[in-house]
Amino acid sequence: MSEVIASLGQFFVYMVTALFAQNAVFTRGLGVSRLTKIVDDGTDTLTFGVLLCCIQIISAPLGYFANRAMREFAYRGYVRPFVCVVCSAVAFFVVLGAVVALRRLESARHAVAALPMATFNTCVLGTMLVSATQSFSLVQTMGFAVGSGLGYVMAVLVVDEGMRKLDGERVPEIFRGLPVTLLYIGILALAIYGFTGHTVTY
Amino acid sequence: MTHEEQMRAAALAKRIKRDRVFLNNPVVMQGLGLAPLIVAAATLKNALMLAVAVALLLTPTRVVAAFLSKFPLFRFRGLTYALTAAAVYAGVLAVMTRLYSAADIGLLGLYLPLLCADPIVLKRYERPQRERIRTALKKGVITTAGYVLAMLLTAAVREFLGTGCLYGHALLGYSPLPIASLPMGGFIVLALLIAAWRGVTNIIKRQMALGVKQQA
Repeated sequence: MSEVIASLGQFFVYMVTALFAQNAVFTRGLGVSRLTKIVDDGTDTLTFGVLLCCIQIISAPLGYFANRAMREFAYRGYVRPFVCVVCSAVAFFVVLGAVVALRRLESARHAVAALPMATFNTCVLGTMLVSATQSFSLVQTMGFAVGSGLGYVMAVLVVDEGMRKLDGERVPEIFRGLPVTLLYIGILALAIYGFTGHTVTY
Repeated sequence: MTHEEQMRAAALAKRIKRDRVFLNNPVVMQGLGLAPLIVAAATLKNALMLAVAVALLLTPTRVVAAFLSKFPLFRFRGLTYALTAAAVYAGVLAVMTRLYSAADIGLLGLYLPLLCADPIVLKRYERPQRERIRTALKKGVITTAGYVLAMLLTAAVREFLGTGCLYGHALLGYSPLPIASLPMGGFIVLALLIAAWRGVTNIIKRQMALGVKQQA
């Protein structure tokens, strides 16, 4: 019983760490290009967020077991991204199957269109690479993956809301769009840095 | 606007769109490949290593993926591009280990393998039209040039502001803005550089449009 509680505690610690102190966007800059595109295009952030979290939750354990299997392999650094992309691809097909099966084809089309963006991005690959290089256990990997997914969605929502307020005539023309988005993210990243007092290792 | 003026304006717009080095730079105009720029490209040395990796990865990935996309088996374009990039990465890392020491490559951390999923490499899959191999080769080289230029510029500014050095050589005896070396500084410096770059390109575009109007 105490082992279960200890594991749950570890899961939540890694999840909260990945959500705030090691937020994928604000501390590691993962998925920033995608985030700015989502905010600019007005993509459905909820659909994108749900898909990204599903991909993270499915691909993380696959990545964990795959990386564990090649622990003794001398050239693991060369093939690790390929293995991680294969894990993401498995998650992609699982989520694709679920989306098509659970929803009517017409309404699923929107989710299917956003699925490649939610799968093949630096946030998903980065989470798997961090878990592998820092030798996380399965519980830690899962906590970190869930936290990273939620953290990314939180970053998208925060930046989206911020951009709605900053999208006006008062912003100088050359700063509109990408520059003001990056400035906004930078200031938020600075706030997190001020709160935690350290930067993450990469 | 006369028909001739419209034709000239369209030709100018096409010319601007094709100039991926300066007027339509992938970083400045489309915000591609930001993660390595914001975090890992804090020094010129890091940026140079990333530039070599991007040069070796981007064009071959785009060419091979353009070739594979012809076959119905590879109809999932996102998957095709990502797997191709990850396969090409093994070769890129082999070359990188010959060029640089393990400690130097270690400075890039996860931002070297992350290039496999970066939009600067994978972005083309979002367009449904198939790309011809010759076009993939040409656009791959031009996009690489634009990305490398933006990366080196960002890294030079960040290194100078963050450490007072340029490629490790001390220019000042102090760090003018130490935060520039950190990821949050990377966001802010990059935002200011993009704004300045856009300001300059806006002036140039206006001048070009004026020139076209005068010719007509």
